[in-house]
Amino acid sequence: MSAARWGDVATYAVLGVLALFFALPLAWLASLALRTPAEVYLGAARFIPADPTLDNFRTILSDPAFLIYLWNGLKLSAAGGALAVALAIPAAYACSRFEFRGKTVVLLGLLAVQMISPLVLLVPLYRWMSELGLLNLDLSVIAVYGAVGMPLAVWLLKVAFDAIPKELEEAAEIDGASRLQTLARITLPLARSGIASAFILAMVMNWSQFLIPFILLERDGDWPISVAIFNFAGSVSASTTQLLAAACLVAVLPAVAVFVALQRMIVSALISGAVKG
Amino acid sequence: MSARADRGPGPGSARPAPWLAPAVLVLAAFYAVPVLDVARLSLSDATMVRPATGVSTAALRAILTDPALPQVLGTTLIFVAVNVVALQVLGLMIALALVRGERRGLRGMTAFRTLVLAAWVVPGIANGLIWQMLFDEAPYGTLNSLLGYVGAGPVAWLSDPRMALVSAVIANLWQGTAFSMIVFYAARRGIDPTLYEVAQIDAAGPWRIFRSITLPLLRRAIAVNTVLVSVQTLNTFDSILALTGGGPGRATEVLSLFTFNTVFYNLDLAGGSVLALLLFVLGMGMTLAVLAAGARGEG
Repeated sequence: MSAARWGDVATYAVLGVLALFFALPLAWLASLALRTPAEVYLGAARFIPADPTLDNFRTILSDPAFLIYLWNGLKLSAAGGALAVALAIPAAYACSRFEFRGKTVVLLGLLAVQMISPLVLLVPLYRWMSELGLLNLDLSVIAVYGAVGMPLAVWLLKVAFDAIPKELEEAAEIDGASRLQTLARITLPLARSGIASAFILAMVMNWSQFLIPFILLERDGDWPISVAIFNFAGSVSASTTQLLAAACLVAVLPAVAVFVALQRMIVSALISGAVKG
Repeated sequence: MSARADRGPGPGSARPAPWLAPAVLVLAAFYAVPVLDVARLSLSDATMVRPATGVSTAALRAILTDPALPQVLGTTLIFVAVNVVALQVLGLMIALALVRGERRGLRGMTAFRTLVLAAWVVPGIANGLIWQMLFDEAPYGTLNSLLGYVGAGPVAWLSDPRMALVSAVIANLWQGTAFSMIVFYAARRGIDPTLYEVAQIDAAGPWRIFRSITLPLLRRAIAVNTVLVSVQTLNTFDSILALTGGGPGRATEVLSLFTFNTVFYNLDLAGGSVLALLLFVLGMGMTLAVLAAGARGEG
């Protein structure tokens, strides 16, 4: 066997072992979610349940509260992601198309603020919102999601705008279009896959957010799924492991499914961002 | 150029201020002012239910002399240091294996990448809950029942203080590796392939190629990624909250979780602000260090 073939074997060996590590938690979660209570106690012997059941999902999804949590999660993440992208577009466009003093400072500043834990920001934000009567409002959570998601969106969109030839915009300008018209009719449509990547990424991050809704929303009925499963887990006894597993799976699946379906687009946006950054 | 100026704002000559305004306002309202307010609160006597009545260093002194603080900082240091090394070793190994596999046209590379990325998008809380099921110490728990097959265990994954920290690291590695993988994958693909062709002609072995080409050319990516991953790990707390709640005792209570508990469970706003400020200074210090190093390296 040639050296290259041995290399292939080594590649598969390394990735194979790691694949087990990365697949085990999700596979086990699925296994638990499909088991009857009796089979939960059989551990690894019933990795593939002998008597698989969808009852756990039925129980979870027939609880109207659970559907509300999912809807809240979707609503808040989508609106927050859209706000982040909307806030990011003008700044990303300026950083891509204009030369101005302090541009590096703006871009590095956006990179730096992403390193601040939302926990640091939420301590004062919680107090202000409490004084202004803004707690327990979806809009407050969406505003914070927008602010937290904006910096990364600016970077991703700047890279997307950089990839569009300036000549196209210049042609539109010669025809008398203003900058705003050029942006709306030429640049944004051409950058749509970059915009979509930034939006999806922001949305997936928001779906995972726990701290912001946990602090800003006090009413059970307003919670997104991430907060709800934490609360659900706190109320669970060992006999309902399979229900918790089903609930986790339902909370995890939307984000994973969206990401897997669109990963080619998102990963290429991230990679071009990483190279430029 | 003067002809273009006559025709109106050409590229490069427009005023950026109105375009930057929304982003700058958000940065001011949601980042700059809150951080300043945290600094102010840390020098006050405010609690969650009572506003500040004056300037005081009592909270600062109380937190700094809190016997829990050294333990929390020690746990944080171990958690961050181990994760930063392990995340990057794993991420680099995967990135290089993927690039090699893709070059050789091996099957399954995209599937593997997808698997790692899938773990990345699992919400932190769900990550903690999933691993709590895996680490279940009952005989039917995932890992213990698997260990039982080979006659090992059972391991006290979450009830032994030392083991609990190891478990928290494992759960974090599962979720966090994807980020380093993407960074190194991008950086590795950015290396000029002719360098590897030359090395092939010179009959250099894989280890020599790694040492002489790959590693030196990834140095910048590794430096930047080290900081990004350190700060991300420093800020991680929702997965630990769901996995162990910081326990047993304070064995897995890292600085961000300690801050969270101080503010939102003990309602000690001034003390929590001191900790939040510490979290901010540590994270920002590391970030500015790498930005400064990057600026020097490019100049």
